[in-house]
Amino acid sequence: MDYTQQNYKAIKQMLDSIGVTSIDELFSDIPKDLRVKELNISNGQTEQELLNSFKGLALKNKISTTFRGAGIYDHYIPSLVWEVIGRSEFLTAYTPYQAEASQGTLQAIFEYQSLICALTGLDVANASLYDGSTSVAEAVVLSLRISGKNKILISSLLHPEYIQTVKTYLENSKAELVVLPQGANGAIERTVLEANIDDNTAAVVIQSPNYLGIIEDMQTLSAATKSKNVLFIAVVNPLSLGLFQAPGEYNADIAVGEGQVLGSPMAVGGSTFGFMAVKKSLEWKIPGRIVGQTTDKDSKRGFVLTLQSREQHIRREKATSNICTNASLNALAGCVFLAGWGDEGFVNLAKTNISKARYAFNKIKSLEGFKVKFENKTFFNEFVIETQKNIKKINKVLLKNNILGPLDLSNFNENLTNCLLFCVTEQRTKKEIDKLVELLAKI
Amino acid sequence: MNIPQNLKYTKTHEWIRVEDNKAIVGITDFAQHEITDIVHVELPEIGRAVKKDSPVAVIESVKSAFDIYAPVSGKVVAVNDNVLSNPELVNQSPYEQGYLFTIELSDKTELNSLLDAQAYQTII
Amino acid sequence: MEKLLNEMSSECKPAYSLNLDVECDYQIPENLKRNSNLGLPNIAESDLLRHFINLSRQNYALSTTFYPLGSCTMKYNPLINECIAKFNEFNSVHPYQAQESMQGILEIIYKLEKDLCEISGLDYFSLQPAAGAHGEFTGLLVISKYFKSIKQKRTKIIIPDSAHGTNPASATLAGFDIIPFKSDLDGSLSIEKLKEILTPEVAAVMLTVPNTLGVFEKSIIEISKIVHDNGSLLYYDGANLNAVMGIIRPGDIGFDVMHINLHKTFSTPHGGGGPGAGPVGVKAFLEPFLPVPRIELKKLKYILNYKKSKSIGKIKSFFGNFPVLLKAYIYIKSLGSVGLKNVSEQAVLNANYMLAKLKNIIDVPAGEKCMHEFVLSPKSVLKNSVKTLDVAKRLLDYGYYSPTVYFPAIVEEAIMIEPTETESKDTLDKFIEVLIKIILEESNKCPQKVKDAPVNTPVKRLNEVEAARNPVLKW
Repeated sequence: MDYTQQNYKAIKQMLDSIGVTSIDELFSDIPKDLRVKELNISNGQTEQELLNSFKGLALKNKISTTFRGAGIYDHYIPSLVWEVIGRSEFLTAYTPYQAEASQGTLQAIFEYQSLICALTGLDVANASLYDGSTSVAEAVVLSLRISGKNKILISSLLHPEYIQTVKTYLENSKAELVVLPQGANGAIERTVLEANIDDNTAAVVIQSPNYLGIIEDMQTLSAATKSKNVLFIAVVNPLSLGLFQAPGEYNADIAVGEGQVLGSPMAVGGSTFGFMAVKKSLEWKIPGRIVGQTTDKDSKRGFVLTLQSREQHIRREKATSNICTNASLNALAGCVFLAGWGDEGFVNLAKTNISKARYAFNKIKSLEGFKVKFENKTFFNEFVIETQKNIKKINKVLLKNNILGPLDLSNFNENLTNCLLFCVTEQRTKKEIDKLVELLAKI
Repeated sequence: MNIPQNLKYTKTHEWIRVEDNKAIVGITDFAQHEITDIVHVELPEIGRAVKKDSPVAVIESVKSAFDIYAPVSGKVVAVNDNVLSNPELVNQSPYEQGYLFTIELSDKTELNSLLDAQAYQTII
Repeated sequence: MEKLLNEMSSECKPAYSLNLDVECDYQIPENLKRNSNLGLPNIAESDLLRHFINLSRQNYALSTTFYPLGSCTMKYNPLINECIAKFNEFNSVHPYQAQESMQGILEIIYKLEKDLCEISGLDYFSLQPAAGAHGEFTGLLVISKYFKSIKQKRTKIIIPDSAHGTNPASATLAGFDIIPFKSDLDGSLSIEKLKEILTPEVAAVMLTVPNTLGVFEKSIIEISKIVHDNGSLLYYDGANLNAVMGIIRPGDIGFDVMHINLHKTFSTPHGGGGPGAGPVGVKAFLEPFLPVPRIELKKLKYILNYKKSKSIGKIKSFFGNFPVLLKAYIYIKSLGSVGLKNVSEQAVLNANYMLAKLKNIIDVPAGEKCMHEFVLSPKSVLKNSVKTLDVAKRLLDYGYYSPTVYFPAIVEEAIMIEPTETESKDTLDKFIEVLIKIILEESNKCPQKVKDAPVNTPVKRLNEVEAARNPVLKW
């Protein structure tokens, strides 16, 4: 099965118009000896056959009740989100180069940018980046470029794959990446930051909630950074901003993060989108597409891609980034997600997350063989529990009961052997949490 | 095309007006016309040492970006902040309100290599 | 005019709601608490639906019209791909669940890699890059790491001036200096010029084949030999793979590294600007440097292998844009080997047919034949200072999306047309008729009408200068 349309008659007419006798002649510039004989790929299948074979492949994956997060989260995606991103007018359009024929995409991106600015408390957001990890890397590259300095301080409590991605991006640059060690309480301490910051520091990168779920004292860390005239990059979970301080409130210069929690499915970690918001002074320095408001010939409001001379298709090697295709459709999902929750609803969603996580936390920590790892720390929807029990066994038993259990942190760092990272979102019911606790108690 | 007689020019379409040991730099009427509507200007920081013919500023239209080269070597001692907030000044008044920056000359002999109005006229 | 979300906001109930089935028992210290208002709009579900449906109707899309956007391969996006990609067993899988519990997903990634190897003639692929430019960046990092491993200092990349802007931008991000390569009028490359700039510092030459003017580089084998004799590698920008699938394989003609835009050649929808996927393929000697994890088959089980000591590391979290990979794999399975070759044959036929109808009327800098796309230069036929931009806008009035314009920059007033294989002769005929009418007739008889275009779109011509001079980037 393929999707070409020309029948024999049409092909004949077209070849006549071109003035050749066969399609093969059209490839005459390609030497015969370079041609492929035949591709070793199975024969084409019909829709029905595809449906059957892919159902088979789908069933080789297991869906469980998940208490695992660590960067990708199980949140509810409202029907409206699916409906909108399924609209073929959004799905099958290209990047909106011809503005007058792309107002739908352009206005939606403008609304998305506005919503991200509202959430983060910053002034300018771009149209999206690939994901959380690359958004951090882009922010780091941005800070190096504008500061002319070449040292980056990055929290060891960033998602480990984010740190690895930043390392890869900086591989051939002159920049030095200094990883700030975690304090005893599972957070970054101001003194550690201050001891490492110097005249050559371009930016400090802190994630909150951090990889262990703990809300960092961003106010203090940002102030310590800003007092040295260094850029502060906040990596945030956008859902947490319903309750916790916004990057704009603690004077961050750049906020980035993973947008999956705003209406994209887990889908083994992608596709998702990354977001980036910055202070007004950085608007001509930000990477990626940006949509701006303007007027048409009749003074009617409309939207266009703007500040384009930053971008690769104009600036080539001097562009602010190489990014072209980003994650527009996932950002659209984010826009519909945020608009549908509204002010109060979004705060409620955040409250539901923290409440359910607290409920699970209180129950689990009182079980025999389980205890709190970091006392008196504030968390959002993830927390660390230390256990004397066999972690492999725990997750095995849970999986038997169709539960994807907490993440084993022993590989993350040596201070966290015997530690588990639990995640409880609004998706988990009281009943499911009780069941988890009951199973843990029996192990 | 307006090419004032009292200025010196470069092949890359900058003009320069020398006052004592300082040189005021901008882009020519021809250049602003070719670039069309200027939407953004990036200027060097004050105090920066620049070398003759090295890129020091950027002028951007909606669909392109142009490097502006230092016509002479020296130190940037002033920039025209007005064009940052009103880039259209470069279009409207390339030789006056739309000037870009001032360089303190480090080598006056470099001035000899610049074009006069007649010579510039022949290359555009 | 469709209102903005903030203008629609009222005191109503929000669209979504939830019930809390546990006690609300938490405290947030003052210094961590949000004090500022969120400022999200409050809109009922029914109104929100109308808003977004109305917005969607302001888009021209592949599902509503012909979209001959050169270099973007806007081919039909099969519905069955979307249908399968909605399966819960793909969407509700967590990246950190046990490998044994996601064997279906790993199998798809593994087998897609094998198929891409077969199609490209390269030995291994990493499917992790999230877009074409991301693939370029990854490929260039692999090249850089390879030369480091054999202790050669090669810091430069040669890139033709007709290449996509992402090429130089990616190379810079990967730490290379760029040597621009001035191409000939038809975009092809002179061997003599290449020899002049090919120094021992050159790590790689990046080529787009066929080039952005739609021409197959005839001296590719010679170029490949010269480049390799110099100890440099050859990089294939796969943006134009749709012209040669099943005809030639980049790996067979000397390319060492390439990326493929799955959202072009392999039919995955573009989503108004992503998500895409830009798998990067390499010859066997470069495999150790590919990003982790590699997906491997061990004892009949698919596994994620992170233990690759020479790898460039991670270029993105997790395993790539899986839904995009899935759709591309379904596409390959639906077409099969015969169908894939047919794609390129029909794409090249469609493009040449259009070119044949237009070449006697409008200048074609690259000559009378093309691959899957071609570039027109209407400068000499446009009257009354009508520009290519005006033609592009006028096409919108006739219900067509515009071709790519002003790219490649080496062609004045360029119009770049790529019809793809999925359009009928009838669609092409009607488009050609309109294009000729605008360029020959309207630009002559009623130039103002063309300059005032578009008028049939939701908004008339927009002021891009104003947008950039006084940026309004949020409400």
